Amino acid sequence: MIEVTAISKNFGEVQAVKDVTFTAPDSQVTALLGANGAGKTTSLRMIYSLITPQSGEILIDGIDPNKQPEKARKLLGVLPDTRGLYKRLTARENIEYFGKLHGMSDTEIVSRTKSLVKDLRMEDFIDRKTDGFSQGQRVKVAIARALVHDPQNIILDEPTNGLDVMSTRGVRSFLNKEKERGKCILFSSHVMQEVAAVSDVILIVNDGVISASGTESELHEQTGMNSLEDAFVHIVTDGVGHE
Amino acid sequence: MNKQMRQIKTVMFKEVKDNVRDKKTLMSSIFMGAVFMPIMFVVMINFVVGMQKDKAESQLEMAIQGANNAQSFISFIKTKGVKINEFSGDARKAIENKDEEAVIIIPEGFSEKFSRGIPAKIEIYYDATAKGSTNVTQRRIKALINEYSTTIGMTRLQLRGISPLLLKAIVVENHDVSTSQSKGAMMLSFLPYALILGLFIGSMYLAIDTMAGEKERNSLEALLLNPIKRSNLLIGKLFATISFGLITMVITLITFKLVMPFMPLEEMGMTVNLGFKNISILVMVLAPLAIMAASLQTIIATFSKSFKEAQTYVGMLMVIPMIPSMALMFMPVKEKLWMMFTPIMSQNLIINQIMRGEPVESISIILSIVGSLLTGLILALLAIKLYNRESLLFSD
Repeated sequence: MIEVTAISKNFGEVQAVKDVTFTAPDSQVTALLGANGAGKTTSLRMIYSLITPQSGEILIDGIDPNKQPEKARKLLGVLPDTRGLYKRLTARENIEYFGKLHGMSDTEIVSRTKSLVKDLRMEDFIDRKTDGFSQGQRVKVAIARALVHDPQNIILDEPTNGLDVMSTRGVRSFLNKEKERGKCILFSSHVMQEVAAVSDVILIVNDGVISASGTESELHEQTGMNSLEDAFVHIVTDGVGHE
Repeated sequence: MNKQMRQIKTVMFKEVKDNVRDKKTLMSSIFMGAVFMPIMFVVMINFVVGMQKDKAESQLEMAIQGANNAQSFISFIKTKGVKINEFSGDARKAIENKDEEAVIIIPEGFSEKFSRGIPAKIEIYYDATAKGSTNVTQRRIKALINEYSTTIGMTRLQLRGISPLLLKAIVVENHDVSTSQSKGAMMLSFLPYALILGLFIGSMYLAIDTMAGEKERNSLEALLLNPIKRSNLLIGKLFATISFGLITMVITLITFKLVMPFMPLEEMGMTVNLGFKNISILVMVLAPLAIMAASLQTIIATFSKSFKEAQTYVGMLMVIPMIPSMALMFMPVKEKLWMMFTPIMSQNLIINQIMRGEPVESISIILSIVGSLLTGLILALLAIKLYNRESLLFSD
């Protein structure tokens, strides 16, 4: 479970995140939906303690990542928006490296990699050097290495960005399986269909604050709109409507 | 082995494996530093020594214009085994075009002045800035003319009943105390630079790849999300970088040891002893420098956004080991203790001492190791501090 209370962060003059509060419980897919620059990535980066919030509190299964970053990171699996791989290593070696950094034993890594390969359908390229991988293959490897330690909490920043239909479906079904295993899944996106298709609860981020939250149908009700896109536009423009 | 050590080892081994696989760039840098440079060095020295020897022993040829004006001079130099080439035309042009190394012009009134006992003029055209063998030729010509001039002068005095010895107010007696080794060491003063440069070249590529490369590949953020202290991450990367510097250094030493027999050491009047003891000293004093080189390169690479940028800046670092080597080559100084404490300079001095066949004092070795190690550790700490910045990811 991820609990975020009133976090904020500014870079110089720019207040990237003003006041973000939410809870992402286990066995649920929670989506941060917002336009580019709304503060999604900065919020996520604070949650996975890459940057320190100016104020507010974050708890990952009760652990404050800013006080105990290493302990919190063991509870987290993160797919950041930059997902570069080591090109001269094979996909397996990329995953193995992160497993070792997590302190896993060789046998643990082998068995976990085996199940990730199966779930993410990586059989064809797992032992190839990652140089020249397609976007979809890269994201799969990046997800696998992020989750090699089988963490309880999964954070993904724009997970299906730039993926084709088949890869997108593969990632989605993988996330659903993880949810069924009781994991807490938090992801960010600016793509309406994506959010509608995957998430249980949607948090709409606008200008550094959460301006609405609820299931898709709750958002329809709150705004009186009958599509997520219309509801989103209604919320971020304060009801002024379409541009 | 505790957890921290295991993590550092994991990072180090991954970086080594990752970079060993990049054969093209890596091997060319190790090959350049450790193999090509020493061989190039031997070829160069052989060439220079061979050229000087040839010229000094070869028959001297003189291009002379107006040889008829000075019969006795001509017969004098002929007895010295000089071959005379009649020259006509523009002497200045002939030198500029490098047709002749030197041209001698004996003017019309030479023999008249000569017989009247007035200083008679001989003109020599040459290029004082010319290198190598041309220089030797000029010196030999001038020496011959001087010898002739002195002989004639003394004869004239004797004919007038004056002792020619009166001309010699002072007699200079030369006592050259340089050992045979220290003469040739001049030629070898480039060696410290070659060894230190090998070390810098060897670690350069890894410093760039593990720091700027990680940024350029967009793999840094994911890496930082692992439950490992950033300092440990950096230490692992540094160890990998240092190990490549050390490997390159050892290969360079081995190459030098192997090519030593091809050095014209005898012609240079020296015997370089690269035995086990001296090799050990070299390894001991050069190894701490690897930490310094790797840390320095890592610091520079931390600030770079891309591989290319890092390559430019880290490449500029190569000038640093050059400074003391060059300085010592052109202005030899007496070794002082503080110099032995100064990294790069101390290695330069100690390598030079070994080349000259002088014993290296233990205190020098200890000071050199301590000085370089301290500097290296301070730089490594600085690199760790820089790696801990929050802005590491966002420096662009």
